[in-house]
Amino acid sequence: MISQRQTTHRLAAYAVFCVVILLVPLFVSDAYLLNKFARYIVFGILSLALSLSWGYAGILNLGQAVSFGLGSYCMAMALKLRTIPIQTGAGGLPDFMVWNNVHTLPWFWEPFHSYAFTLFAGLAVPAVIAFLIGWFIFRARVSGVYVAIITLAMLVVINLVIIDQQRYTGGFNGITDLTTFKLFGVEFGAYSVATYYLAAVILTLLLFLGLALMNSKTGLILQAIRDDETRVRYFGYDVANYQNFIFCVSAAVAGLAGMLYTLVMEFASPTFLAVPISLSIVIWCAVGGRASLLGAALGAIVVTGVQGSLSDSKTFLDTWMLIMGALFIVVVLFLPNGLISIGDVIRGRRQRRRRAAPARMPEHAEIAAPGRSAAR
Amino acid sequence: MNAIASQISVGLSIASILLLIALGLAIIYGTMGVINLAHGDFVMLGAYSVWFLQKQFGMNLITTLPFVFLIVGGVGWLAERLLIRHLYQRPLDTILATWGIGVILQQAIRLFAGAELRYVKMPQFLINPVHIFGYEDSAYRIFIFALAIALLVATYLLIYRTEFGLRMRAITQNRDVSRCFGINAGRIYALTFAYGAGLAGIAGALVSPLKSVAPDMGTSYVVDAFLVVVLGGVQSLLGTVASSYVIGQADGVLASLSDDTIAKAVVFLGVVVLIRLFPQGLFAMRVRRS
Repeated sequence: MISQRQTTHRLAAYAVFCVVILLVPLFVSDAYLLNKFARYIVFGILSLALSLSWGYAGILNLGQAVSFGLGSYCMAMALKLRTIPIQTGAGGLPDFMVWNNVHTLPWFWEPFHSYAFTLFAGLAVPAVIAFLIGWFIFRARVSGVYVAIITLAMLVVINLVIIDQQRYTGGFNGITDLTTFKLFGVEFGAYSVATYYLAAVILTLLLFLGLALMNSKTGLILQAIRDDETRVRYFGYDVANYQNFIFCVSAAVAGLAGMLYTLVMEFASPTFLAVPISLSIVIWCAVGGRASLLGAALGAIVVTGVQGSLSDSKTFLDTWMLIMGALFIVVVLFLPNGLISIGDVIRGRRQRRRRAAPARMPEHAEIAAPGRSAAR
Repeated sequence: MNAIASQISVGLSIASILLLIALGLAIIYGTMGVINLAHGDFVMLGAYSVWFLQKQFGMNLITTLPFVFLIVGGVGWLAERLLIRHLYQRPLDTILATWGIGVILQQAIRLFAGAELRYVKMPQFLINPVHIFGYEDSAYRIFIFALAIALLVATYLLIYRTEFGLRMRAITQNRDVSRCFGINAGRIYALTFAYGAGLAGIAGALVSPLKSVAPDMGTSYVVDAFLVVVLGGVQSLLGTVASSYVIGQADGVLASLSDDTIAKAVVFLGVVVLIRLFPQGLFAMRVRRS
């Protein structure tokens, strides 16, 4: 059981982290740097999303990038429709559609004229897709490794479809040349402080909401499912419903991260829902600490931060991925709960040693006792 | 009629490649409960081995095959000995570790062989079409099909007719009891993993002249192979063979009706729906619990 003091410590750690990320713009005035930091924070949100389903409910979703990419595309579609037409055809058709001989706006693009719908869709589209997949796999009591395989297959398939449907999605190039997102009179440009704050505030909210969720009854049941699915089923809970619920929540959060990512990057691309990003999410989450929201978010921010501060060259990126692969294996082997658990691991060792020391005492006493009585 | 025959032949060649990849995957999963996400990268490694041997020593594709088997099998053996054997108690983590191995292999190839596409020459005598049953068919396709069948038979004999296979099946049934009878489980695991990896390597070698060789070529193959394993199960070789054939033909037919991508998407959806309908029937849930 988690003690009162540990809970306080944990809340304090979360609060300190949030204050730090909210204070960053006071010390960083360089717009380029701020944009970079906003990107890291978006990755933090994305990693947190995976931690919800993987770390807390044991659902290893290797296709998390699907949700991320779809959220990103939703936002990009809305912004594309509002771009001042330069090369567009009649009725404000996006330029790539004109090049692909599409004459009327496809029906699924229509509703993205509205921002309200876009914000809703950015959360709902990933969640609905997750729900459908989840309905099939969790109802069938497919668990463990099969979930991982099926989500990975889903990722590859959806990525192929988006690249293939160039007429509607912009294909390999994705959706580029976007206007600036504007809500309630505030402009969220990629290099603006507003966008950074938006990302940082959302991460803060999600950290505390996630913590509240995981300490609620639902959260406890989810963690119980992670530890022993069958036992929870015998208690009469509908395991599949709980699993599907967190699977959808995780997808929606990743969709939110995707929408933010479009604002930060100013485009949407099929690489956002390709295997390398999905792999990176799992690595961040594993390295930081899958069973801790803060750990997962920090994992993403630290790993991408270190990567971004070192270099951007192609050879470096290849070498970097090699190093990440090795780090990933080392963490999986020796620190299953990530770097955030180092403190616990050391404390656990010390406690074990302390417990081991007094444990020997009664043993000796017991052996000594008859002797002593005999002496008497 | 001719169109249908050629359609079946295309489907058969897709199925043969899939069979070789899925066979390794299924053997590894069946024996030790490890889902090998590096399997696609073993396929890639096989293709690069052919390219390297061809470029360095001017070897023919067919003469390289034994070497490819040994190289990729050796890498698989190393991976099992160094990493995977530490994770048998944590099945979900073996996915992560093997994914890590895949990344390392892919990046190592990118750094040492370059990221650009590579091309492998087809053996001269297999380029020309041959006439069979009155139809004209690509000789190379028939070669792939024949080799896949040969390896399938070899695998069957290995599992059901040799001492090694006996030990392997014993461990699959009950590892602890088998060890009490003096079977060296670690050695069998390592060799099984190496054999599965070697099969993937051969599959990679076989596709290398058909498509360009690239560091990330493994991903698409391994996803199809996963679907085969999910659909067919790991309990019997027959399940793997049948579902390779079904998925290979479905891929081929759907691709000819629309295009490759739609074919993949439809096959994927089909498999997901089938899982819901036959959760127990089409594959056995054998998550290793220790």
